[in-house]
Amino acid sequence: MIRYWAICQRDLLATWRKKSGIYQPLVFQLLIVTLFPLGLGAGAQTLAKISPAVVWILALLGTLITLEHIFKDDFEDGSLALYVRAGLSLPMAIISKALAHWITTGLPTVLFAPIIGILLHLPETAYGVLMLSLLLATPIFSLLGAVGSALTINLRSGALLLSVLVMPLLAPVLIFGAGAVLETALGNSAKGHLLLLSGALILTITLAPFAAAAAIKVNME
Amino acid sequence: MCKRSGEALFAPVSFTVKGGELVVIAGPNGAGKTTLLETLAGLRPLSSGNLSFEANKNWNDWLENSHYLGHKLGNKGILSCLENLKFVLEIYGHRYNRSEGKMALEQVGLNGYEYQLASELSAGQKKRLALSRLLLLKHSYWLLDEPFVNLDQMGCEWLYQLIKKHINQGGSVILTAHDQQKIHQMASQHIILEQP
Amino acid sequence: MNKLIRLYHQIGSPPSFYQISGYFLKPLLSLAIVLFVYGLIDGLFFAPEDYQQKDAYRIMFVHVPSAWMSMFIYALMGLAALITFVWRIKVAEAVMMASAPIGAAFTVITLITGMLWGKPMWGTYWDWDARMTSELILLFLYIGVMAMYSAFDDDPRKAARLTALVVIIGLVNLPVIHYSVYWWSSIHQGSSVKIIGTSGIKDWDMLRPLLVMALATKFYYGYSMLHRARSYLLKTEYKKQWVHLILGLHETKEKTNE
Repeated sequence: MIRYWAICQRDLLATWRKKSGIYQPLVFQLLIVTLFPLGLGAGAQTLAKISPAVVWILALLGTLITLEHIFKDDFEDGSLALYVRAGLSLPMAIISKALAHWITTGLPTVLFAPIIGILLHLPETAYGVLMLSLLLATPIFSLLGAVGSALTINLRSGALLLSVLVMPLLAPVLIFGAGAVLETALGNSAKGHLLLLSGALILTITLAPFAAAAAIKVNME
Repeated sequence: MCKRSGEALFAPVSFTVKGGELVVIAGPNGAGKTTLLETLAGLRPLSSGNLSFEANKNWNDWLENSHYLGHKLGNKGILSCLENLKFVLEIYGHRYNRSEGKMALEQVGLNGYEYQLASELSAGQKKRLALSRLLLLKHSYWLLDEPFVNLDQMGCEWLYQLIKKHINQGGSVILTAHDQQKIHQMASQHIILEQP
Repeated sequence: MNKLIRLYHQIGSPPSFYQISGYFLKPLLSLAIVLFVYGLIDGLFFAPEDYQQKDAYRIMFVHVPSAWMSMFIYALMGLAALITFVWRIKVAEAVMMASAPIGAAFTVITLITGMLWGKPMWGTYWDWDARMTSELILLFLYIGVMAMYSAFDDDPRKAARLTALVVIIGLVNLPVIHYSVYWWSSIHQGSSVKIIGTSGIKDWDMLRPLLVMALATKFYYGYSMLHRARSYLLKTEYKKQWVHLILGLHETKEKTNE
C-alpha cells in the first residue's frame, strides 16, 4: 500500500511545485463565469435560474482541461515503465494517480464552487447539495479522465480527442449532478439524484482503473 | 520472435544468460534491439516463443531480480536527484535513507547535485542519475538499452568498470550498443539481430 | 465440429475472408437496391395515410430503419471490438473499423430525418427529447471511435486495439447513458407530443414497407461493411504476399495461405 501511496505523494509534490495545475482550472472557471452575465445580462433572476447548471458545467470543463497530463508525463519520461518493472499493479497505480489528480483539481473545485455560485446568485438553499454533489462527482471526473488520458498518451495533442472520448461518459454524471442542485434550488429533495451519483461513483471506481490499465498496456507495446 | 507494428522484426533468436555473463545485442538501426530488450523486460508481450527464468522460479521473480534502463530514463524533472531516488526505492517497497542515496549519487559522480532538480541536469548527468538506481536496487540482472549514449569519455570508462565489477560479483548484464569496441571485447556472448 | 473450426480459421484469416466476402458483395448490393426501391415506392405511395399526421409520417420509412441500424451497428461493432481486443483477430478489427463510418452515417440520417419530421409535428426542428438526445450522444460515440483511430497515423495495429477499447467502453456506457437520458427527460420535460411509436402500427400495409426498408438497410450495411473491411485489409496488409497476388496477378485461387 505504501508503494502506491508513494506515487500519489510524488504527484502531489510535483503539482505543488508547478502550481499552475492547481490554479489554472480555477482561473479558467472564473474567466468563463464572467462571460455569462456579460452575455446574458446581469439580472439576478436570469442568472439564478441557470446557475445550478452553469456551476456544474464549469466544474466539469475546469477539470477537462487538466486531464491530458495525468499519464502523459509519466509515459514520456519513462515512469510508467518503472511502475510496471517495480511489479506494481497497474490499476492500483492508476487509482493512486487519480487520487492525486482529485486532490489537486477536484478538491479545489469543490471548495471553489460556492464562489462561482455566489457570482451567479445561486439560491442559498442549494449550496450544501452543490458541494456534496461535486464531492461525489469530482472523483468520477478524475477516474474517467484517467481513462481518456491513458488512451491518448501517445498523441502529441490529444486534448480535443480526449474531450470527445470523455464527454459521452460524463453526460450521465452531469445529468444527475446538475439535476441534484436544480431540484434543491426549486425546493425539492435531491436524494434520488445524489444516490444515483453515488452509484455512478462506485461503478466508475470499479471499472475505470481496469479500462485505463488496458489502454496503457496497449500504448506501451 | 518479436514483432513491431505487427511485422516480424528480426530472425528468431535464442540465447541463455548465466550469472557472470555480459551479453551484447547488436544490429543496425531499426533492427529491433530496443524491442527485444523491452520484451525481455516484460514491457511488451512475446509474439511467439518463450522466456524462462531459472527452472523453478516464475516470471515475477525475474521482474524482481532484474533492472531495466531504457531510452526513457524514468527521472522526474520536477523532483530533485535525491527525491527521484527516494521515489524509486519507495515504489519497490524498499526503505530509503538519505545517506545511502547520497552515496549512490556520489558513486555516479553527481555529488553536489543532490538537491538539484533533475530537469536542470545535462543529458549525461540525467543518464548518470538513472544509472545510480542500479547501485541502489542491487538487482542481479541488468537490462541496459544503449547505456553509453550521452556519456562522456570518463562516464563510459566508469560504466565499463561498473559492469565489470557487477559481472565479477556474479551478476549478469544484457545491453544494446553499436560501436563500443571495448564492450564487445568484454562480452561473453553476442546476439546479432538480422532481417527475418 | 472439425468443419466449424476450419470455417472459423478461414474467416479469421484475411486472405480467405477477402476471397469469401467477395462472393457476397454483388448479391448483397442487388438485394439492398431491390428492397430499397420496393420499400420506398410502397412506403411513399401505397401505404395508407396516417389519420393524425397525414403524409408527413412517411419519413418514418427512412427514419425508423436508420435509427434501428444506428444501434444495431454499434452492437455489432462492439462485438467485433471485443474479439479484436481479446483475440487480436485482424478480420474483426477490419469489421469494427468498417462499421464505424456506416453507423455514424445512419446516426446522422436518423438525426436529420428526425429533425425534418419534428418540424411539422412538434413545430420545431430540434427538441431535447430523450430519443434525440441519446441519438446525438451516440453520434459522439461514433465520432470518438473514428477520431481515436485516425489520431494514430503511424501504428495501425495499436490504433485498432485502442479503438476497440474505446468501443468497448462506449458499449458499457451505452445503457447508462440511455437510461440516464430517459430519466432526465422524464423529469425536465413536460409531455411533448409523442410520436406514434412503431409499436402502435397495427396496419399491415404500413408495417410492410417499414420491415422491407429495415431489411434493405441491413443488406446495404452488409455490402458496405464487407466492402470497407476488404479495402481495410488491403490497406493494412499491403506488405503481405496475398495482397500482391490479388492486386497484381489475380491468382486468388492459389497461395492464399501464404
